[in-house]
Amino acid sequence: MTAAAATPVRSARPAKPRPSLAVPLGVLGFLVLTYWAASEEFGIGFDLPAILGDLTRGAGIIGEILRPDWTFLPATVEPMLETLQMAIIASVIGCATALPVSFIASRVTTPGVAAYFVGRGILNVIRALPDLLYAMIFVAAVSIGPLAGILALVFFNLGVVAKLLSETVDGVDQGPMEAARAAGANRALTIRTGVFPQILPNYVAYSLYVFELNVRASTVIGIVGAGGIGNVLNAQMKFFAYERVGVVIVELFVLVFVIELISIQLRRRLV
Amino acid sequence: MIRFSRASVTYPGGVHALRELDLEIGAGEMVVVVGLSGAGKSTLIRAINGLVPLTEGEVTVEGRSVTRATPRELREIRSRIGMIFQTFNLVKRTTVLNNVLMGRLHATPTWRALLSRYRPEDVEIAMQALERVGIVDKAYVRASNLSGGQQQRVGIARALAQEPRIILADEPVASLDPPTSHVVMRDLQRINRELGITTIVNLHFLDLARVYGERIVGLRGGRLVYDGTGAQADERVFREIYGRSLTADDVLEASPAA
Ligand SMILES: Nc1ncnc2c1ncn2[C@@H]1O[C@H](COP(=O)(O)OP(=O)(O)OP(=O)(O)O)[C@@H](O)[C@H]1O
Ligand SMILES: [Mg+2]
Repeated sequence: MTAAAATPVRSARPAKPRPSLAVPLGVLGFLVLTYWAASEEFGIGFDLPAILGDLTRGAGIIGEILRPDWTFLPATVEPMLETLQMAIIASVIGCATALPVSFIASRVTTPGVAAYFVGRGILNVIRALPDLLYAMIFVAAVSIGPLAGILALVFFNLGVVAKLLSETVDGVDQGPMEAARAAGANRALTIRTGVFPQILPNYVAYSLYVFELNVRASTVIGIVGAGGIGNVLNAQMKFFAYERVGVVIVELFVLVFVIELISIQLRRRLV
Repeated sequence: MIRFSRASVTYPGGVHALRELDLEIGAGEMVVVVGLSGAGKSTLIRAINGLVPLTEGEVTVEGRSVTRATPRELREIRSRIGMIFQTFNLVKRTTVLNNVLMGRLHATPTWRALLSRYRPEDVEIAMQALERVGIVDKAYVRASNLSGGQQQRVGIARALAQEPRIILADEPVASLDPPTSHVVMRDLQRINRELGITTIVNLHFLDLARVYGERIVGLRGGRLVYDGTGAQADERVFREIYGRSLTADDVLEASPAA
């Protein structure tokens, strides 16, 4: 025993693997891309001193935003509530749809290879379009108003949550699934009992995250007439009424902050 | 009640994990399967409940063909076969009771299981299964908060909750320390004797195999090379199954049982 400890059996030490070229090549590629994007001849001509000079022009606007005209507050209450309602409805529908879609679009739980690729493909298409484009499409389809906004946000949420969730499903411990299958469970129940409990905290976190994104996105999609506070914001910007814009910005800031507080509490309770 | 007829499994890639195996296991037997790593022990166990499909031959359980079963029939056959895993395969984030209730899925309507609204009688069966392995006090504890030995007993309770006719255990003590290994093996032995459940256990360690295996089946390179009582299985027999002399790594306790 002690003799064995003194002269441990040792196999030959392996040669040190040759350093991979991936990292230096990656860094080089990154630098080249940055130069390409920012340079005068190929890119957008990114010029820091000029930008700093331009920024001072905005100082006047920022000054006005920083002196909000609070008499405008009552007029914003109703559209702000509409934004909140749109965000809630869109989150509920989008996240509820995302759950089954993410099981189809994960290698671990998909019912078949064909379903997997179709699911992935649809998700990629959904995610390729920005929220503003969805808003424009649905405003054209169902006319101006909150319904168009809700539909735009639903697709936006579905794309984000199903993508993140299907990747979470890819990474679950597959042991419990095997146990459920061995116990005679069908596919739905195998997923319900073997997978769902593992991804629940992530699902809640992603859902709360897109809810918060919805509140913010509503300002953008309002620009094309998809309802909510975005409409108000857009109108006041057109009139250069930056003191009123300031009111909306402060409100949005408070709203997002409150949502963040609530979601931290909810997530803490679930982990 | 379990019958392999010329059963072969060839994995994609060409590994012959089982070769023309003929084996019959009667109701109520306690069988230990031994063999070197890669001999095909897990494959044999998983062929019984169809987790691994045969590429040739047939397996029948209680007269019903696993090999030719439709998906629905296969689920029905599986519902009567409990399975215990080396790494326990528990949902660690949820309670012990929820894990054991997985054993009641086959008897629960889908909508109930989806909403996690199990019938009181199924909860009762799960509780009794936990009582049988002595950890009912942990019913509402998260599975991740249990020790390895306790987690494996949850695994056994989950199998028992199926009210199975057969229990399959794939190296159930390989992740446990020696004293705990004996506790878990005695649980399995007691279940086999008291409930008459046919029990098939893969084991790595010869001394455990000899103590708990009323019947020992030896595999080597996917072939059946030994089938006899535990008492008959002396060192010479094990050398033959393993195709080499025995080492201290082949036994659980520090000193070789032989
Ligand atoms: N899914 C698979 N795909 C391909 N080859 C496999 C697969 N599973 C097992 N094998 C191979 O089949 C052979 C038998 O494997 P099996 O897991 O049944 O052995 P085992 O006796 O349980 O070994 P261990 O003691 O290491 O668990 C091995 O050579 C293994 O590499
Ligand atoms: Mg194995």
